[in-house]
Amino acid sequence: MDIDFSPVLDNWRFLGFGLMMTIVLSVASMAAASVVGASIGIARSYGPRPLTIPLAFYVDTMRAIPVLVVLVWTFFAFPIATGITLPPFWAALVALSAHIAAYIAEIVRAGIASVRPGQARAALALGMSRAQVVRKIILPQAIVRMLPAYGSILSITIKDTAIATVIAVPELMRQSETVAAQSFRPMEVFTTTMLVFFLLLFPVTRGVDAIYRRVAHLGRS
Amino acid sequence: MSAVGGRDAGRKGADRPPIVVYEGVVKRFGAFTALDGVSAQVNRGEVVCLIGPSGSGKSTLLRCTNALEAIDSGRVVFDGAPLPRRESEARHVRRRMGMVFQNFELFPHMTALENVAVGRSTVLSEADGTAKVRARALLAKVGLADKADNYPSTLSGGQQQRVAIARALAMDPEVMLFDEPTSALDPETIGEVLGVMKQLADEGMTMVVVTHEMTFARRVGNWVIVFDHGRIVEQGPPAQVFDAPREVRTREFLSHLGWGGDSG
Repeated sequence: MDIDFSPVLDNWRFLGFGLMMTIVLSVASMAAASVVGASIGIARSYGPRPLTIPLAFYVDTMRAIPVLVVLVWTFFAFPIATGITLPPFWAALVALSAHIAAYIAEIVRAGIASVRPGQARAALALGMSRAQVVRKIILPQAIVRMLPAYGSILSITIKDTAIATVIAVPELMRQSETVAAQSFRPMEVFTTTMLVFFLLLFPVTRGVDAIYRRVAHLGRS
Repeated sequence: MSAVGGRDAGRKGADRPPIVVYEGVVKRFGAFTALDGVSAQVNRGEVVCLIGPSGSGKSTLLRCTNALEAIDSGRVVFDGAPLPRRESEARHVRRRMGMVFQNFELFPHMTALENVAVGRSTVLSEADGTAKVRARALLAKVGLADKADNYPSTLSGGQQQRVAIARALAMDPEVMLFDEPTSALDPETIGEVLGVMKQLADEGMTMVVVTHEMTFARRVGNWVIVFDHGRIVEQGPPAQVFDAPREVRTREFLSHLGWGGDSG
């Protein structure tokens, strides 16, 4: 078999730009999803019923639709339905964030629910207000407890950015496809793509695990 | 409390208005009646011990004392005023009472020092430094000055419970509520916690103690209340309740625990 990695090396800037887009899209999606997801999770835990019902509907809906469908709908259907056209990068950011936020909301809600009720009682007994109990006692422990699940979502988010290729966001997958098609070297190019994703994700998942091991005791009541 | 008036003439603190009065307190959880018309009082400076079988309502009464549980009927009067029903007002009463829990319930994300200081800094809006000075003194009082920077996960059960006592004391409570404070402890660490409680009692702290430690109730308690099925079976000075119980249920409960009198 004839192996030639030169198309990869010749196009390293082009592929590197794709890697940068992948990282930017991952970080931006994760940040937006974290803010939206945490808000939903906290609102579902402590909010009034008129608020929790539509939020539960949102979470269940997002979890029942493939992320690829959300992405394609956001890019192709949303502009027709609303008249608002989103450039590919922004469509991918919105779709991924909306999707991931639903999972983060569930992680946050489970984290809050896992803190034993005695902790809230002890804080209330000191005279704290409900808001102080949540802010000072429940959430700090919940955040520690949700770290492993949050780490999984982080790696899923990075991987999911690859589907943005279908709406032509120039991230790593899209750039790889372009190079592979032009060079007729799919084996070399996609093997490289695989390796780059692995090298990006492996430290991330291991890093989150290592952080969790160091702080786990702070959430153990 | 006319029913107990005459008999209580010699009861500790009877010369002053009681700090807590329970008047026909009823508490239900669904179909289960946890407290079925409980009337009693706690005098200032007294150590009142609540004893009785598990599930008899002792701990529930304790939680009703600082409004962690809302009662269904009757009244709980604290320092002359019925407990407020609204959560925002209940806070102001709760901070005047200290509470110690069976499972310690220390905050795991804070050091021992922070656990003791957090009440003053959060609830009383005291400066962090000032609250910590006070917290350090209280840790020393419970014999844990050297553990100030330890997280709860690195402390033994007995040490955790002593930090929890210091945390409650930090708010300068007018009454301390203990909910089975030694039930989750290894036998060898029970003594250190009871020692701190005895010291508090000697200093004149008003205490309500739910306990299965009959020796503590007999020796440190000034007044003992026996519960069964959400009702008070019998109450009186420990000498009467332990050595000459009037009620059959009290005798049964004590003999079930193997209580054969305080021989030591």
